Amino acid sequence: MGKRLTASIIFLLGMIVMFWLEGRRPDPVELLPSISGEPEYCLTCHQDLPEISPSHPVDIFGCVVCHGGEGLALDPDLAHSTMRGEKNPSDLLVVEASCGGSTCHSGSPTEDRDHIQRVTTSIQSTYAGAIASVRYSFGAQNDLIAHMGINAVQDNNSATDISFLTAFNPTQETQSSLLSFAENCLYCHISAEPLPGEDYARLTGCAACHSPLSPDGETTHTLTTAISYTQCNTCHNRGNYSLRDMQYHPREDQYSGRLHEYYQPIAQFVRCEYTLDCIDCHTRSEVMGDGDIHNNQDEIQYVQCRTCHGTKTELPRSYTIQNENDPAFRFALLNPVIDLSVGDTILITEHDEPLWNTRMLADGTYELFGKATRQRFVFQPVAGTNCGQNPDEQESHYCHQCHAVER
Amino acid sequence: MNKKLNRRGFVKLLTKGILTISGGLGLGGIIRFFAYYKNEYPANEINLGPADQYPLGSKTILNQVPAILHHTEGSYKALSLTCTHLGCTVEDSEGAFHCPCHGSGFNADGSVLNGPATQPLQTLKIELISDGTLVLYKQ
Repeated sequence: MGKRLTASIIFLLGMIVMFWLEGRRPDPVELLPSISGEPEYCLTCHQDLPEISPSHPVDIFGCVVCHGGEGLALDPDLAHSTMRGEKNPSDLLVVEASCGGSTCHSGSPTEDRDHIQRVTTSIQSTYAGAIASVRYSFGAQNDLIAHMGINAVQDNNSATDISFLTAFNPTQETQSSLLSFAENCLYCHISAEPLPGEDYARLTGCAACHSPLSPDGETTHTLTTAISYTQCNTCHNRGNYSLRDMQYHPREDQYSGRLHEYYQPIAQFVRCEYTLDCIDCHTRSEVMGDGDIHNNQDEIQYVQCRTCHGTKTELPRSYTIQNENDPAFRFALLNPVIDLSVGDTILITEHDEPLWNTRMLADGTYELFGKATRQRFVFQPVAGTNCGQNPDEQESHYCHQCHAVER
Repeated sequence: MNKKLNRRGFVKLLTKGILTISGGLGLGGIIRFFAYYKNEYPANEINLGPADQYPLGSKTILNQVPAILHHTEGSYKALSLTCTHLGCTVEDSEGAFHCPCHGSGFNADGSVLNGPATQPLQTLKIELISDGTLVLYKQ
């Protein structure tokens, strides 16, 4: 009789535990994203997450198409077991599976929409210029041409002389300095985990730029094209790498405020350069790459003061929007800081990239809307002013000679 | 009849009580587990109610589809408002349709005004049945 009682008590305890566990299980919340047509239950636990962007509504995309994972699982460990890139599906190791596809970000190269190919071959990913420069400095290669990148990349349709890069492998280098370079100086390409510290905190891959962390350093469920200079500063303007000791040296000056955060003391700059955000001037192809493999940053970065201001003899390049298919509308849709219309005249760069956040005004001046701040600026062309610049000296550093800000 | 409960009887009764409670808990758990009902999948056929709700010349947005119903001379036409690019719902914009997700544009007849969509909005089958109601077929 005692054994029966003991067994029944154990049975009761088992039932109580089962009932308790069953009670803890949340009621599944089903989502049927139209893009896949397959149910998923991620919202059972993640209903509190905000929509990541207006272009990726959750009822259309769901979660699994980007993040992977087991959409039907209600057990967190099982549900998360096959996620791509853990919390960051845009990491370059998994980005093609997460963000790629012919209707998404691997889309048609002819429409300049093959973002993943552009980013993976961009200088921000390959770090090819730094690698070539350091290898050349220490005699590991005979020229400054890029032969290696952080990862091996190939571009069979490259418009440059470089169609591929092999992966930089420090263990195959004979110079100890190159080992030090690999250990201490490779924190800023977008596949790299950043240096510790809130000044450097960012994610990797697309999210390095498009998913800013919260002010307290937490990841946010956000994708944005309104990228503040502070996001660029997680890699730029925080310090310098030294060839002498192959170490990173953070800035030693005490800096605060936009002006001082923006530029290190050694740099010259004009007012608009620190009043605006980096992406107000620098274009998509400069930042994300143009699809070709380049030797270094200088080859890809081309916007100058004259791009917006022109020269003493020429107005800046511009064009009038002819129809609704103009790419400027697409960019303005993603970050609606300006209300463009067919018939508006906007600036365009030397490489035919529309500066879609600008517009020519009736009095011959131009307006620009900050992509991150939404602030409106009005500026004038150089033509018609008293500017005494030499026609042969049009690069920005010549403008700095007269217009640089003192600090 | 006042039978005194001895120790053996008490243990027997206790065991039965425990087993009864355990069975109840187990049964409750099983009922609770199977009590979950999946969301119903959207129906393919949608009854739009009496046709006279949609007077001649009217254009009615059917949010539940989503589609726009146009009553023209002698016929009803339904145009899907699901963008053919990735499936967002397009918005009526001064006689044309505009996708808020990726910017595709469509003319009033559903043809593509601007990309990224390359296919026109889908025309949906609509039927006026014998009792005077309209039935719309999503596919």
